[in-house]
Amino acid sequence: MSEQPNGAPAEGQGAPAPAPQTPQQQPSEKNAAPAKDKPAEKSGEKKLTGAELKAKAKADKAARRAQVKDRKEVSKAEAAVSSSPQQLGPAASEVKGKKGKDGAAAGQGGRPLLPKTVPSAVITEQKVQIPECFSHLSMAKRIPMTQADKDVHPSVLALGQQMATFSIDESIARLKATLLAFKRVIQSYTTPPGHTLARHFTPHVLNPQIEYLTACRPMCFSMGNAIRWLKLQVSKIDMDASEEDAKRDLCLAIDTFVAERITVADEVITEAGSKLIRDGEVILTYGRSSIVERTILLAQAAGTKFSVFVVDDPYERQGQQLAKVLSAEGIQVSYCGDFGGLTNHMRRTTKVLVSAEAMFSNGSLYARAGTCDVALAANELHKQVVVLCETINITERVSTDSLTYNEIDPERGQAGAFRLLFDTTPDKYLQLLVTELGTVQPRSAPDLLRKLEEFN
Amino acid sequence: MDKFLDSLKGRPVDASIDYLVSLLKRRQIQGSESCALATAHILLQVVARDKWSDVNQLLERVQTVGRKLVAASPRELTIGNVVRRILGLIRDEAQEDRNDANNDGSSDVLPEPPHSAPLKLDSPPGKPIRPTMASALGSLTRTQSMFNILADPDVAPSFLLDGTPAASSGASTPLAHGLATNASALRSEVLDGIEEIMDEIKQVDDQLCGYSDIVIHPGDYVLVHKPSRTVQRFLTRSKRRFTVLVVTDPATVTAEDPYAILRKSLAANGSTLINVMNTGLMAYMTRVNKVILSARAITATGGITVDAGAAAVARAARASGRTVIVLGGVYKLSPDTQANQDLATEWGDPSRYVNFSDGAMVNNVRVKNAVSEYVPAELIDTYITNLGAHSRDHLHSIITDHYKDAEVSLDLYGKIRK
Repeated sequence: MSEQPNGAPAEGQGAPAPAPQTPQQQPSEKNAAPAKDKPAEKSGEKKLTGAELKAKAKADKAARRAQVKDRKEVSKAEAAVSSSPQQLGPAASEVKGKKGKDGAAAGQGGRPLLPKTVPSAVITEQKVQIPECFSHLSMAKRIPMTQADKDVHPSVLALGQQMATFSIDESIARLKATLLAFKRVIQSYTTPPGHTLARHFTPHVLNPQIEYLTACRPMCFSMGNAIRWLKLQVSKIDMDASEEDAKRDLCLAIDTFVAERITVADEVITEAGSKLIRDGEVILTYGRSSIVERTILLAQAAGTKFSVFVVDDPYERQGQQLAKVLSAEGIQVSYCGDFGGLTNHMRRTTKVLVSAEAMFSNGSLYARAGTCDVALAANELHKQVVVLCETINITERVSTDSLTYNEIDPERGQAGAFRLLFDTTPDKYLQLLVTELGTVQPRSAPDLLRKLEEFN
Repeated sequence: MDKFLDSLKGRPVDASIDYLVSLLKRRQIQGSESCALATAHILLQVVARDKWSDVNQLLERVQTVGRKLVAASPRELTIGNVVRRILGLIRDEAQEDRNDANNDGSSDVLPEPPHSAPLKLDSPPGKPIRPTMASALGSLTRTQSMFNILADPDVAPSFLLDGTPAASSGASTPLAHGLATNASALRSEVLDGIEEIMDEIKQVDDQLCGYSDIVIHPGDYVLVHKPSRTVQRFLTRSKRRFTVLVVTDPATVTAEDPYAILRKSLAANGSTLINVMNTGLMAYMTRVNKVILSARAITATGGITVDAGAAAVARAARASGRTVIVLGGVYKLSPDTQANQDLATEWGDPSRYVNFSDGAMVNNVRVKNAVSEYVPAELIDTYITNLGAHSRDHLHSIITDHYKDAEVSLDLYGKIRK
């Protein structure tokens, strides 16, 4: 923080940036304007910790300012969006603050994934059209690579695009890809002279990556957990250690983390989950989840005779993929594209198997929208609902309804077509939580968290 | 539907019946209102153009046609409802005629009690009561015993019938004597009655709309599932400013707004419409104040048949303690019960979500797609019909007002259900 005085002039420079925009603003946009300015100021303070960054920033600023003019409408709206509760742990609060800046700087987002369905004139207004009652929720957006922050590492850049287009979708897949990308970032990092890795890496190299990823798609809880862990590891690095050693240690730590919390965890969970499937059972699952798929396949490989009922989300239809994979393995599969006749299906079912996007510490499940309805129908007929979840997905936050934390489908974020991606299932509708630390009652999720803390 | 109505004139009655049966079987006529109207039209033809000399013959004929239609689309309860209503109508008219004929001296007919008026109590002000129905009540000699009201509708109370012929035979004797002469008078009266039933069906939407301001409060978030024309009109009629969440049909996802017209007319009142593209609605229930469903049919126990997917909505609403309101004309209220929920679900076209060209799915996976399903009575709070808002317990008395016991116990389904 000794650089703070140096930062002051840069901040002064930063201030005019929004100024030239204001005269051009339409009167109708007044409301949005303050929302935009606030995060911009905040971010100004934040990034001034490095002196040489200031020089860079100066050079960039002129170019960026020109761009900013063009996309101010969009960025304003984005700033409004980014004021929504972020899906990060509280420890990552500095990321939160910066995210506002990212929304403003990275600009030109909000291009819908299906541009042909929405007339181009609508694009700039699109964000404003999020129905007011849901405006606090966040939404993934496509940021053209050319407008990403210059500090973003190429591998992170690619990952961001994959996340924004939902080609990497599941929480655990996103986590794994993020950690591997960060490993690359670490490998290609060299500490500037006069700095130490422990002090310099997180604010100047890691945070821009995180901001970019968050801007592409709001972070999932597991990413928040892992990033907090990673920052802790960086801060723990011995000041006197050589850069090579430090980088090697960090990469090793990431590898171990991926192996322990993801790879082995998945093995343990699929193993435990497949043992819950008994001969003659009918397993109902909702949508497609890779861990549920592997669990079912493992049970089949173990020689259990059972059948599967796939209920699908008609807007995603990923369950068809699952149905094909399972039936190709010789499992008897039934498929239903929506919730029509759900009670009928449930009556023939013996067990419901779903995977978690995240678990809250009050035992409620955060998963694909519709999971709660399935669990409710199961509960009505007293069928067991089993949740598969890696412990990295457990967050210490609490949510009692589905509108506290959620994400809006970027393709359907207006009144004309609106869709939430997740919902929250209260623990009373769930019977079992299968994690790598054991199979417990969902209500015991916080106990698992405590256990994890003891390990570390 | 229009095509069917056009074809009625040119064809012999039997051909029209077969045509309608095939239309119903192919679900080319579907939806409760169309089915009800088509049934009324075809029975109108039967009464008007068939040769019949006495009431029993006519009753028999109507029952046979009714069974055919019901068998063609057994889950459209409104078909059975209309058939029953018309049977009741014929019996009433016949009995009236007989009363007139036997008025001097014969003692087998009980004196006509003064019009009992449960029907009037429910009717909204200004709504004309069907005169035939009112007189039906009058001439209906059976008093409403406590037992009757409490009787389980699942058990057909055929032994209770006093005066009216028991059960489904229809070959009743008391009506037989001396009616042939009145055939033509009876015919025209019955035809008038059927026209009235058709008018009643057509007017339901307008009458329902009158209740929208009572149901919808300013600032409400109202959730509707694939709103039918009835529900859409109900919503637009409200002068309040509220938000409508519309659960859209996922199979018809298009670029343009499927409810653009509704949105426009709602916007005129300052209300907003949001198309919700989720199948699971639990996520929204914290926001929603009430759920409005339109019934395809309402059964005697209070359960309703609805478009597939609405049951999940109702369940979610109930689990979150939200009000579930059902809209439907009285003609949808059926004396039938759907004792077996599994059978109440109608399965249909599997290609809705799965493409037939998708070999892996078509060959190996059993694809199911529900068209309509059953919502049990426990999930529903209020029913709004053209006669007003009712609680579940009150449905019984509406049924007894509209259907005679002979019709209630009439088994139109034969072996379909068993």
